[in-house]
Formats: sequence, C-alpha cells, structure tokens
Amino acid sequence: MTDVTRRKFLVRAIAIMAGAIGAMIGAPAISYLIGPSNERSNTGEWIPLGLAASVVPGDPVLMKTTVERTSGWLVDTQEVSVFVSTENGQDFTAHSNICTHLGCRVRWVADQAGFFCPCHNAIFNRDGSVSTGPPPRPLDSFETMVEEGTIFIKEA
Amino acid sequence: MATRKETRAAEVGDWVDERSGWRLAWTTVFIRKIPKVNWLYTLGSATLFVLIIQVVTGVLLMFYYVPEPAQAHASVQYITHDLSFGWLIRGLHHFGASAMVILTIAHMLRVVLYGAYKYPRELTWLTGVVLMLLVFSFGFTGYLLPWDQRAYWATVVGTQIAEVTPFIGGWLKTVMLGGEEISALTLPRFFGAHVWALPAILLSLVGIHLYLVVRNGITSIPKRDD
Amino acid sequence: MNEQEKQEYLEQYAEEKKKGVDFFPDIIFKDTLVMVIIFLILFGLSAFEGAGLEEIADPSDTSYTPKPEWYFLFLFQLLKFFPGAIEVIGVIVLPVLAIGFLAALPWTDRSTRRHWSARPVVTGVTAALFAGGVFLTAQALLEAPAPGGDVLTAQGDPVAELYSANCAGCHGTTVAAGPGTDFFRVISGGTHEGMPAFASDLTVEEIDTLVGFILVPRGNDLFAATCGDCHTVESLVEQDPADLSDALALGTQFPAHAGANVPDWTTVLSDDEQDELLNFLSAPDGQRLWSQECASCHGSSVAFEGGEDELRKVIIEGGSHLEMPAFREELTDDEIAVLAGFVTGGDTGPDAAALWTTSCFGCHGGRVPTAASHDDAVSIITTGGAHETMPVWGDVLTDEQLDALVEYVVGVASGTGPSGGEDLFAQNCASCHGDLGEGGPNPTRAGDIIAPISTAEYLKTRDDRTLQAIIAQGQPNFGMSPFGSAFGGPLDDAQVAAIVAFMRAWEADPPVDLPPEVPDVPAAGASGAEIFSLLCTQCHGEEGEGGIGPNLKDEEWQDSRTDEEIFDAINVGHVGTSMVAWGEVLSTAQIEELVTAIRELANPPLPPEGIPTFEANVLPIFEQSCTVCHGTSGGWDGTTYSNALLTGDPSPAIIPGDPLNSRLLQSLIGTHPDGVVMPPGGGLSEAEIQIITAWILGGTPQN
Repeated sequence: MTDVTRRKFLVRAIAIMAGAIGAMIGAPAISYLIGPSNERSNTGEWIPLGLAASVVPGDPVLMKTTVERTSGWLVDTQEVSVFVSTENGQDFTAHSNICTHLGCRVRWVADQAGFFCPCHNAIFNRDGSVSTGPPPRPLDSFETMVEEGTIFIKEA
Repeated sequence: MATRKETRAAEVGDWVDERSGWRLAWTTVFIRKIPKVNWLYTLGSATLFVLIIQVVTGVLLMFYYVPEPAQAHASVQYITHDLSFGWLIRGLHHFGASAMVILTIAHMLRVVLYGAYKYPRELTWLTGVVLMLLVFSFGFTGYLLPWDQRAYWATVVGTQIAEVTPFIGGWLKTVMLGGEEISALTLPRFFGAHVWALPAILLSLVGIHLYLVVRNGITSIPKRDD
Repeated sequence: MNEQEKQEYLEQYAEEKKKGVDFFPDIIFKDTLVMVIIFLILFGLSAFEGAGLEEIADPSDTSYTPKPEWYFLFLFQLLKFFPGAIEVIGVIVLPVLAIGFLAALPWTDRSTRRHWSARPVVTGVTAALFAGGVFLTAQALLEAPAPGGDVLTAQGDPVAELYSANCAGCHGTTVAAGPGTDFFRVISGGTHEGMPAFASDLTVEEIDTLVGFILVPRGNDLFAATCGDCHTVESLVEQDPADLSDALALGTQFPAHAGANVPDWTTVLSDDEQDELLNFLSAPDGQRLWSQECASCHGSSVAFEGGEDELRKVIIEGGSHLEMPAFREELTDDEIAVLAGFVTGGDTGPDAAALWTTSCFGCHGGRVPTAASHDDAVSIITTGGAHETMPVWGDVLTDEQLDALVEYVVGVASGTGPSGGEDLFAQNCASCHGDLGEGGPNPTRAGDIIAPISTAEYLKTRDDRTLQAIIAQGQPNFGMSPFGSAFGGPLDDAQVAAIVAFMRAWEADPPVDLPPEVPDVPAAGASGAEIFSLLCTQCHGEEGEGGIGPNLKDEEWQDSRTDEEIFDAINVGHVGTSMVAWGEVLSTAQIEELVTAIRELANPPLPPEGIPTFEANVLPIFEQSCTVCHGTSGGWDGTTYSNALLTGDPSPAIIPGDPLNSRLLQSLIGTHPDGVVMPPGGGLSEAEIQIITAWILGGTPQN
C-alpha cells in the first residue's frame, strides 16, 4: 500500500518537475520565437515626402521617399511610394500604392479616374475605396501635413 | 477504480499500441529493474538532459543567428539584448556547453571508478570516448560563432595549435579555416560543422550509446571483492 | 575474461538486478531531480552572469590577449611546458596518448576485478590525468591575469612598464624560453601559438629594450645600480655595444667618462654581471648588431658561404692574425696539414720542423703557438691575417650577442654565396633588368620604364632580406612575377640568396651611376655627333651600340620611335633612371642636332640572303622578344623548333608556307581578329617581321 502511494508520489513529482522545466524553457521559447513580429517600426513618425507645390489639383501624383527601417539588427532604407492628390491645393490626401488584395503595385489610370491593379484588374476610386475587383478594403491611407511647403505623411 | 477518463486514455493507448508497439518500447526502456545505485549514476542522464537543452536552444538560436562575418556579431547581439528571453536561450546554450564538458568528464570518471567499461559494456565505453571528443569539437566550433574578439582570437590560437600536427599540420589548418587564415569562409564552415555535421554524428552515437545502456543495464556498484 | 567468467558475471548481475530498484519511477525521479538542479543553475547563470559578448572580431588588433574557453585551457597551458620544436609533444603526443589510454581501457584492463582498489593502475592513471587537467586549468586561470593588470609594481620604470603593457598580460612576470631563442624575431614577428607580431606597434629600440629585459630580468636592477644615476635606459639602448663594453672596461679612461667619478666597473661588477648588463643594454639582436658593427665594412651584404662554426671563429678572432700571410697561396694542402699537425703537437716529424723553420720561425720564433684542434690550425695557417682590419669581436661582444650575430648572418645568407648568382641573374632577371641591372623598357607593361637596380643608392637602401623578399614575392604592381618557390616561382631560397649576393657585388662599384656625369656643357656650336660622344656614350656606348642604356642603332628601337619621341626622351628623360632630363643642359637646337645624329647611327641590317632558317635567324628573335613571357609556361612556346611549330592556342600557330594565316604572324602584325599585337611592350621591327615572314613562306626550315 505504501509502495503504491510512494510510486504515485514519485510519478507525480517527476511530472511536475519535468513540466516545470518544460514550461521554463517552453514559454520563453515561444515568446522568443514570436518576439519580433510584435515589433512595429516607424509608426507615428512624420515622414517628409516632397514639395507640396508638385501636387496640383487633378491626377494624383506618385511621390517616393525612403524611410529607415530596422529589421532585427539591420537598419536599411526602404522605398515608400505614395499617391498624393489634392482638390484645392490646400488639403492633401495620400494613399499607399500597394493593392490591399495581394500586394501588387497599383497605378493611376486617368481614363478611368481610378487606381488600377494589374494583378486582378481591381480598380480603386480616387478616394481609395474599392470600385471593382477582389480587394477586401480600401487602399491604405496616410495622414498628411504640410509644413513650410513640404508634405509630410504619417501612417494612420 | 478506473475513471471514465482513464478508460478513454487506455483505449487511445491501445489503439496506438496496436499500430506502433509503443508499450513494448516503453516497458523495455523504463519498466525494468536495475541494481541499487547511488547518485553518481544520475550523471549520464544529466548529460543527456543538457544535450537536449543544447539541441533545443541551439535550434532556437538558429532562428536568428546569421553565420556571416558582417552580421554574425550583430545577430548575436540582437538575440542577447533585443529579443525577449534571448538572454535566456543564449545563456542556456552558452553555459550548457560548459555543463556538457563537466558532466561528460564526471560521467566518465564514474565509469572508470566502477569499472563499468568492462564486459559486456566495452562498446558503450568506446562510443562514450568518441562522444567526449565530439563534445570538445562542439565547444571548439561553437566558440567562433559569436564572432567577437574572444571568439576570433581563441580560434586563431586553436587553429594554430592544430598546425603543429606533424606532416599534415599546415594542411589541417587550411582545411579547418577554409584558407590560410580566418576569413569569410571560416565562419560558415564552423557553423556547418557545429549545427549539421557534428550533431548528426553526435546524435547517432548517442542513440547507439543509449541503446547499449538499456540493453546491457547499468553496472552495479562493485564491492571490495568484485 | 573467459566464457565461464562472463557467465558468472552475467548471473551475478542478474542477481543484483533482481534485488534492485525500479528504473521508473525511482531512478527517473532521481534523474529528474538532478536535471531540475542543473537547469536552475544554468538558468541562474544566464540570468545573473549572462553569456558575454565582446566587441566584434577585429583581426588587426594585436593587443588582444587571446584566451580559449576554459575547457581548452589545460591544452593551452600544456604548451607552455613544451616550447618550440617539442611543442608537438604537448599538442599531439600527450593528448593522443591520453585518449588512446581511455579508448583502450576495456582491452588493456582485462581482469575480472571491478572495484577501484583492485585496479590501481587504471584508477591511478585516470586520477593523474584528471588531476593534471585540473592543475593545468587552475594554473592557466591563475597565471594569466586580466590584460592591463599591473603585474609589475615598479612604477616609473619605463622598461618594466613597457614589459607590463605588452608582455605581462600573457606571460606574467617572466618569460620562459630555451637558450638560443631569437627574442627579437619572436617579438617582432609573433609566434604561431597566438602571440601577435609587435613589429608594427613597437619601435626597434623598444623591442631591443624588451629583449634585454626578458633575457636579463636582473639587468634592470643592475642598470639602476650601476648606470641609473647618470643615464636612462633609452639613451643607452641604442648605443654601439662596443662602446658600452669599453665604457665598462675602461673606467675613467673611457672618453665620455673622463672627469666623472666613475669606478672601474670591471672590478666592481663580476664578469657575469658585466655580461648581463651588456646584454640588457644591447640586446642580442643580430640584425642590429650587423648594421652597427659590420655594415660599415661589409655593406649590407650578408653573403657567407661557410659553416656556422667558421663564421663564429672569424667574428671572434677578427684580425688577430694581423701580420700573418694567408699561407694557402704559398704552401700545398699537404704542407699545411703537416704544419697544423706540428702546431697541435700531433705530428712532430722532421718535415714539420723544417716547414716551421722556413715558414713560421721568422715571426713566431721558437714559441710555437698552440691551436685547439688540427682544423683550427689549418684554418689559421690557410687564411692568415685575412681579416686584418677586423676587430677581435670575441673581446667586445658577449656570448649571447655573438650567438645572435652568427645566427643572423647564417640565417640570412642561407649558406649561399655569390657563386652561381651571376648565372641565375642572367637567366632570370636580365631579360627585364638588363645584364647589369640597368633596367629599361618594361616588357610586361607597355610604356613603362624599369629603373636601374644596380645603383649605389638602390642597393644601399635595401637590405638583403628586402631584396630577397622582392625577388621571392615579385612586385605584382609592376608586372614582376614571384620568383620564389614558396610563391610559385622557379627559385629556391638558396638561389634567391645567391642572386642577392651577386647584386651585392655591384655595391662596391655600381655599374650604373645615377645621375650620369655631366662633364662639360657642350659648346653652343657643337655638332650632334660631338654632343653624343660627350654625353651619351657613357651609357649608350661609343657607337650608340648600347650598354647601360638601350642600343640606339637597333632598327627596332629606331623604327618604333618618332623624332618627337626621341626629342622628348632626351628633353625630359625617364624618371628614376640614369636617363636624366638633358633639357636642363642642352638647348632645343642642340637636342634637335642630337636627334639627327642618333638617326644617323641607324645602320639597318640587311635581310639575310636566301630563306631564313629557324636556328640561325628566327630563334634569336624569339629568344630576345618572346620567351620572356612565353617561356615554357604555357600557350605558344618558341624555345625549340618543334615546339614553335606544334604549340599554340589554337595550335599550330605557324602554318608553313602561309604566313598570313599563321596566328604567329597575325599577332606580330596585328591582323589577328582578337586584336592582340605581340610583343605587348612594342612590336617587332620591320626587318624582324620580314625575316619571320620569309621563314614561314619558305616552309619554315630548321637549319
């Protein structure tokens, strides 16, 4: 009888100890593995885009700039392309040129007055909303700001 | 009295056993009697345990480590300082290496002390000696990987020591380094050895070693007249 | 173990098992408990100690003190007990023996006894191995303090500080090394045990100081007690060892000590102490001793053909046989042998006594000098006072300094003298550097001029090691390929040394003067021919046939240059060569005269009559213009008749009877589709091309 209890105790103790070790290494390991995916870089920073004067009412203008992105231990520059348009030369709207469907680059097609994605023939309206095609949501847009004649954008 | 849950578990166990024979494996390895032994006999399994830690943490480190001179140091720094629990994963691997060496040697001393290398365990002993050499090889190849000053210069010294080998010394050093001196070619070599070649050999030998241990049983503690 | 014993063991073991415990869960519980403890230790170390990470690897950092991971320290430390040639014992032999001992245990220890006390040898050796490993590891940990730790407390002592900053980090307070170690070379060049080369970090004087300090740890104290009142170490280290020796020996007689209250150090210090002091101040550094003591007479040539003992004797005895003629010119070998026997007391026959009377009595009288050995006697009699102006260095230098000097000379000379150097130079160097090292157009790089290597200035500013290195490693930037066998060239070290020795022979009387003499500025009305004979003949020969400078009559030379180019060459010269800018001496009109005169020198050789043959007409052209590069090293090979016809890429390069489709001719006249014009440094002359064309057209006869 005592032998059975002893045995039960030992098995349980082994399970607890092994579990503790497993947990002490397993939990950190999971956190370690998913760690970088939690990092968001360059949010909330105003990125200078270019001269406001180059954007006139009418067709959106594709403006490019580079931003520094830290990926792990590497800091590299990444190109950001943004369509900027204005109605009145005062207020600007900025849309990403990346299609929200599968990440192809959209281009402005003046004939259709919309952004055309060549991958699956999707069309976005001037304000970024989906006109036709598979994209699940409008084009990403940026907050804009003009200071001393320069347009700045910030990820919304 | 078996609860419903236990019955259910037993059913699943039976189903799997019917197709894998795991119960036989389990009883063969675990449900057996061994002679009365003392605490020194935990050294072997402790070594195995640290080996498992090394494998697990080593695999985890590989998720971020880059074996390339321009990035190796930065990636190790990133692991150590920026990643959550990176300090722990790298720390376990780093100190685990020392623990491996200590435990391996202690384990071997126990074997010599109790004459456990004798019939019928000669092969177990022989694989053990090779495993010890492998453990040292792991230490040597792994030391370079962080690509810091200590790693670099210790490897300079280590490979130059190898150069003293008669006849083939110079050649040996060139082969180890992948050239005349430590270069961009050296790091991937050491990395390849440390994470692929050596583990493959080590794990195979550990398998044989463990099979032999289970098959022949652990030695009993010799008495004075044994 | 026989079958029965095996059976007994297995039965006994089965018995033990029966009485034993359950592996699961009893033993597993213990195991798991130990695992938890180990894991907690590792966790704690990671959390509180952390796996360190130093600065990124910097291969150019020579100040870093390498240290292996602790579990290799025992091996690292073991090497300190096996320096130099016996290092292999520590690195290979002992570890292999230890591993072999372990691996062979089941087969060497075949008794049935298992208790440790019944196996004293095995347990003893294992314990010794383990204890040895622990001891070495502990010693290494204790011995090597963190770099920068002040090992030597001697504050304000610059020598000790130098040592402390550079050496103590690894070596502790003393450096153990066998006698005869060339410390200077070790410090400046490092060792392959991980010691960095200090040559770029320390000055020669600092290294010398360190050598002295290491060789004679006591020297610093001796110095402080003896000289320290008046001198600093730095001020004396660079002194001539001969002066230092005099300063000790002469007391107030020594000019610089005159008037100072200086004792006769020879009575104050023991002989050993004097030696130690001299070694400390003038470290046995062969190269420096050579430049201080020998170079003034011997130049920077260290050519020496004899053996080490002979050299040592020459240096030690110097000109001690001042007045004695070299008898090898007057006596036969047999007679010298007899005489030597007489002097060493071996042979006292009547011949010997007679010889002594006729040859030696005049100076030596009846006092027969005794020589240490027959060979010594032979050597003294043969050479006589050959080194009559050479000081008796044996009285000046300490043994250690003599050792270093001898080792340096022998090492650099590699036992090779100038013999053979001339031939080797002619075969390997003359095609680019000229027979006299005068240089000329670089055949491997069009438009480039090779500067003379036989000027006094060139030779004086390069020591033998530098020249040997240049020859062995080549000058890739200037198109010179490596000639040393270690770098893929054809010459072994001895041959390279022989070439250098040959070049040294120029130093006494350089064949090339830079700049050339400008005897008189030619008169305004001098004709071109007069100016030529006044200025140009010293290099280009009386008729312009060439010498140090190129052959100006050569048709190729003439054809490949316009008058303007010749004018420019005279006017601005070739930088770095004896061809100076004559424009500073001559007027424009005079240079124009000279160009005309040079053009008149040309006396084009008539093409040979009949069909040219390979041996007589073509081969000389190939040898002069092609084999420098083509040699026998691949591609087309023009050194023999059959090779010239059969080799090439694509082969054959020569189609008998069809010159225009022969690759050889296409390359010479530039009609080959790939646009190559050979030779790259400038094409062959019209006449030479005509000869080759005629030869191919005529069916490529050999003779």
